[in-house]
Amino acid sequence: MSRATLVGATIVVIILVFAVFGPLFTSHDPYASDFLRGISPEHLPVGPNGTFVLGTDRLFRDQLARLAVGARVSLLIGLLATTIATVIGGAVGILAGWFEGRMLDVVLMRVVDVGLAFPFLLIVMALGAALDRTTPITIFITLGLTGWLGTARLVRAKVLLLRHLDFITAARALGQTTPRILLRHVLPNVAGPLIVVSTVSVAQMILAESVLSYLGAGIAPPTPTWGHMLFEGQDYFATAPWISLAPGIAIMLSVLGFNLLGEGLRDALDPQKK
Amino acid sequence: MTVASFGDIRAIDPANVGDGLVPQILEALFAGLIDYDHDGNIVADLAERWITGDDGKTFRFFLRHGVRFHDGEELSADDVKRSVERALHPSAPNPYASYFEPIVGYEDFVAGKANELEGVQAEGRYVVTFRLKNPDVTFLPTLAMPVLRPVCKSAGHRYTDTWQPCGAGPFKLEPKGWEHGRQVTVVRHDGYFKPGLPYLDGVRFLFRVNQTSQRFRFTSGELDILADFLAPDLVKFQADPRWKPFGAYHAEHQIAGEAMNTEMAPFDNVEVRRAVAAAIDREQIRLVRAANLRVADQPVPPDVAGHDDSLRGQRFDYEAALEHMKRAGYPYDPVTKTGGYPHVIPYVVYKQGLAEFTAQVLAQQLARIGLRIEIRVVNYPTFLAIRGRRGQSAFGPGSWTQDYPEAQSFLEPLFHSKSIAGEDSNNWSYYKNLRLDALLDQAKRELDDRKRKAIYKEAQQIIIDDAPWAFTYYYRGYTQWQPYVRNYRVHPMWTHEMSRVWLDRAERPGGAR
Repeated sequence: MSRATLVGATIVVIILVFAVFGPLFTSHDPYASDFLRGISPEHLPVGPNGTFVLGTDRLFRDQLARLAVGARVSLLIGLLATTIATVIGGAVGILAGWFEGRMLDVVLMRVVDVGLAFPFLLIVMALGAALDRTTPITIFITLGLTGWLGTARLVRAKVLLLRHLDFITAARALGQTTPRILLRHVLPNVAGPLIVVSTVSVAQMILAESVLSYLGAGIAPPTPTWGHMLFEGQDYFATAPWISLAPGIAIMLSVLGFNLLGEGLRDALDPQKK
Repeated sequence: MTVASFGDIRAIDPANVGDGLVPQILEALFAGLIDYDHDGNIVADLAERWITGDDGKTFRFFLRHGVRFHDGEELSADDVKRSVERALHPSAPNPYASYFEPIVGYEDFVAGKANELEGVQAEGRYVVTFRLKNPDVTFLPTLAMPVLRPVCKSAGHRYTDTWQPCGAGPFKLEPKGWEHGRQVTVVRHDGYFKPGLPYLDGVRFLFRVNQTSQRFRFTSGELDILADFLAPDLVKFQADPRWKPFGAYHAEHQIAGEAMNTEMAPFDNVEVRRAVAAAIDREQIRLVRAANLRVADQPVPPDVAGHDDSLRGQRFDYEAALEHMKRAGYPYDPVTKTGGYPHVIPYVVYKQGLAEFTAQVLAQQLARIGLRIEIRVVNYPTFLAIRGRRGQSAFGPGSWTQDYPEAQSFLEPLFHSKSIAGEDSNNWSYYKNLRLDALLDQAKRELDDRKRKAIYKEAQQIIIDDAPWAFTYYYRGYTQWQPYVRNYRVHPMWTHEMSRVWLDRAERPGGAR
């Protein structure tokens, strides 16, 4: 395992631990404004200190507590959206690749072409704006349903290579049904690239959720998400930079972590590199 | 002189005052028969003086002689009548037309049954008479708004949106002086009727400049006046002794509160509304933007006639709030945190406004009496549509800015039952109280200030106790000007009124411009 992979894996583990156990370690309520200790004499948020390790936000709530709850939301959305995208993308890719040139393939690939022609964030924002109420569930479904296109392309290309290989022909000659071949022989062989793509995709989903929340199309307050925390801090950047810096750094680190991990996995799973 | 704003304007025409930013530009371009002075008093302007009939229904305005429009023509009584009819004609997209409903013949004119407005007549060249159906205390305050101000003959008898603005104000708009979405440049009107005024050569109004950019352009000397602040920037300016002498708060004429729909559960129960009014710790809400907000306890803001310090206003009283919840049938036990209203109440708020933040504090406070709200953030047009549609939204932020500095400008649109509509309702609480309606109608006809104050007191007490709104804060803006800007005073109606302002070039950094 390369050093970069190790760094990536470490970051991912730390963030996961922070998301799972972080909220347990702060005594502050992420939703409660502290009008006594969380506010400066000029009625502005207080910076990092003994009571509030990361300072308070513009409503005088503990930043650390909100960052931890935000980590849960961000990671949950990132992981679930990626799962949806991977399942749909994998299935579409395998089917399209297997039935190359047939009607199913043509239809699926045109759908993917049309989808890829739109900027990803634009679709997500349009959907986010169209939905009357945005909850974590609508967000990860939206992200998942729009994030599978690239995955499908990649998997299809891999399947095109596979389906002419000898072991597939052998399976067919033995009289195995198509579903069985797809499940038992094709899927395991595309699993490697699929895992790599989805790891990187987690990073993209976290970023997409941040952008959505930053633009106000994300989850409604007071639920903290990193993107919305970033948005809430922007007016105060000159006077209380910690409000934006904490979620900003969190987003940066988690994206970096998942990307490094993804790259490491790609190298590890690529047979030609062994 | 250059000022900037975050917002933008849609039209420059007295007959189409479509936004909150354009009145200051209209004030620069168009003079009216009467106007507000810097202390908020109604004073003669194009009219030299006026006489009110004994019945309170007739107003005779005597025009100054020799007043010149920007095109050089002399103002006449016919111009006044033509401008009034142009602004009130149904072809004009005039949101304020109905304010002039007290004028005799208004209905027939707006229905197209009459070719002229009977209640406005020119008597010779220099006298105009307005006749009202009933005595009406809102007439002079609304006439002093920009809506009916005289416009040049080029404006014609009917509204068109291609007209080049032309009036009798201290400044005039040059051809192509309005670059849409960017700026309006006005220059001195040499024929202005007040000798020697204005002092400035011109004023540039910039639009769509965000607050951060405004602050940097102000500190670098590119802007002469700064009135849009990010909250922390305002705190810094006020704390800085170099800037402190050159700043001032605007008049307080905006009320904000939580509008509760009296036709929808749980707010159809007056005890729940009273519980909300008592549960809100207004001091905490104020701290969300302490430099601009002041705690409110009644609907009429402090700088508006009818504000009454002797009222028993709404205030934070936690025990009383719990008691009201109990009487409403939703007792809540703060120790075990059980009880309260069993359903979650949606609270609709618009994106990226102050209300998005005050709502989060409100949610914390109401949770303590057993009311759970769920904040739903929508875009601003959606918010307006939902709030103004009957039966759509139970709860949400309300805010109202005066059109003229009189209690009626708040109480009638927000709480009179005639302001209830199926769509675009101004009465967001859909509040109906016949006693209140009668009081407001009576106050409108009452010309005696003392008696009117007593009526408003009773009316406001009803609103405070019935709590269709829980009042939270009065918003007050702030203006910061450069040390070399002289004679500048924040105007209570138009914010920036520039006719007597001048720039001390010697002190201006970088020399004359």
